[in-house]
Amino acid sequence: MLLLIPTFLIFTFTVFLTSFFFLLLLLHHYRPHCIHLSNSFLSLQWLDLSHWVEPPRRRPHLAGYSDNMTLKGAASQACAACKYQRRKCTPECPLAPFFPPDQPKMFQNAHKLFGVCNILKIVNSVDPCLKFETMKSIIYQANIRDKFPVYGCWEVIWQLQYQIMVAEQELQNVHKQLALYRQQHYHHQQQQISAMPDYVTSQLELGMAPPNNNNNNNNNNNNNNTISLLNHSTPQPYNDNNAIPVTQQQQQPYSNRSVDDAYTCAYDIESKENITAANALWAQNPFANNNSSINDNNNNAETVQSELGVSQPLAIEPEDVQDYDELHPFFDTIDDRQSYIDSKEAYDSSSSDESFKDTTKSSMDHAAENALKSAAACFSLTGVKLSVS
Amino acid sequence: MASSSSYSSSSCNSPCAACKFLRRKCMPDCVFAPYFPPEEPHKFANVHKIFGASNVSKLLNEVLPHQREDAVNSLAYEAEARMKDPVYGCVGAISVLQRQVIRLQKELDATNADLLRYAGDSCNRGTGRGPHHVGQNSGSYNFSSPYDPYGDHRNQRSSGQGNM
Repeated sequence: MLLLIPTFLIFTFTVFLTSFFFLLLLLHHYRPHCIHLSNSFLSLQWLDLSHWVEPPRRRPHLAGYSDNMTLKGAASQACAACKYQRRKCTPECPLAPFFPPDQPKMFQNAHKLFGVCNILKIVNSVDPCLKFETMKSIIYQANIRDKFPVYGCWEVIWQLQYQIMVAEQELQNVHKQLALYRQQHYHHQQQQISAMPDYVTSQLELGMAPPNNNNNNNNNNNNNNTISLLNHSTPQPYNDNNAIPVTQQQQQPYSNRSVDDAYTCAYDIESKENITAANALWAQNPFANNNSSINDNNNNAETVQSELGVSQPLAIEPEDVQDYDELHPFFDTIDDRQSYIDSKEAYDSSSSDESFKDTTKSSMDHAAENALKSAAACFSLTGVKLSVS
Repeated sequence: MASSSSYSSSSCNSPCAACKFLRRKCMPDCVFAPYFPPEEPHKFANVHKIFGASNVSKLLNEVLPHQREDAVNSLAYEAEARMKDPVYGCVGAISVLQRQVIRLQKELDATNADLLRYAGDSCNRGTGRGPHHVGQNSGSYNFSSPYDPYGDHRNQRSSGQGNM
């Protein structure tokens, strides 16, 4: 008997809960706004009905219910906009392509900042081919505003401008250091060039070719670098005056004007780049060419930077290849001279009245001497001096 | 305080730009009065056209009182940008700045590589050793750009292409 009472109580309580649950179902179907009160009440209970804030057709807790079903049983899923507004999502819904149902937060942000009417007004005011880009920019702006409730896109612009400023300062420092290194390199090569002519002159007098660079890599590199420096113009150092005007803007956080100037500069920079169809819109932007001086600076900046960008690869090119090409004519001249000397000597020897043997012997001697000379050309200075002596 | 003086002047003399635009009586507790003076009617007109007065009012109520002026100024800037460029608004400027950051980063990497090469050559000259290859520095000035407008890093493609 004592056991029957608690059992009866449990059974009664269960029946009460079931009936209340059924009543809730009916209320949700006919009086949607009542759900909020019921949710707040039920959230205090052990049952979690937070998903009840969704429109009636979304009932994931019910077995067998599919998200693809609408009120009329259509196959298309309601977009996030229609879901939020609790209305039927028709195939002609203008917001459906931009607000997928699995990203409700995206629409909530856009709705919070702009509102549905304003979004549709903006989207309908642009060309149909630009609707997608317009909507993406609206969504992005709304997300940024959600992330930074006070400053919104200002925050992003300031951070990017700061990054640009820091990067430009680094670039200036690196260019200065690079110019210093190049100067030192040039001076070192100049010293080597000043030392070279005496040796070269003496070798030329003796009919010897300068030492072949293949034997001594260091000398080879130095000679190559010397000749390359003589033949190539050094890249222009980074000009501080042509810094991008965006970084010269004074940061004034509580004013529209400084960010507006940066906005103008950003547009000007964009208009000077190699534009595609999308960028052509930037060029047509009436706001883009308000400041002619900034345009000129940007022109200079872009020109300098483009030239710098073009000149940099030339500077980075391996100098060995071109120097080898530059050295070829020099060695060819020497070789021709060598061959001329040989031929001359051979001619002189052949034109003499000596006997054949003597001629042969002298030619052989000459050949040997020439061979020795050419062999000496392959050796260093020390070897040549020994052969001469 | 300038805001209080403008607040008192607006309440006594003339309604704020918002109430003037909406053609309603400017109450003493008008939320727009401190930030939309009657001398700048275009400011509220732009904000109202793009965002709507109710949305702006909700946004102002969500931020702290000392941040409301900055919030209004940022909204005014975004509204003006959207008026001038209905397609991209202020996002266009962000995209341009991002491309600039990427371009500067590439230039820095190339210049650093050049610098390392010269530094390596000068070291070799000093020590008398043979030349050795110096690794290219390609990551020390990696400025991350987390604010990719479209979330697919299309801005990191080669410059000159229309990513937007």
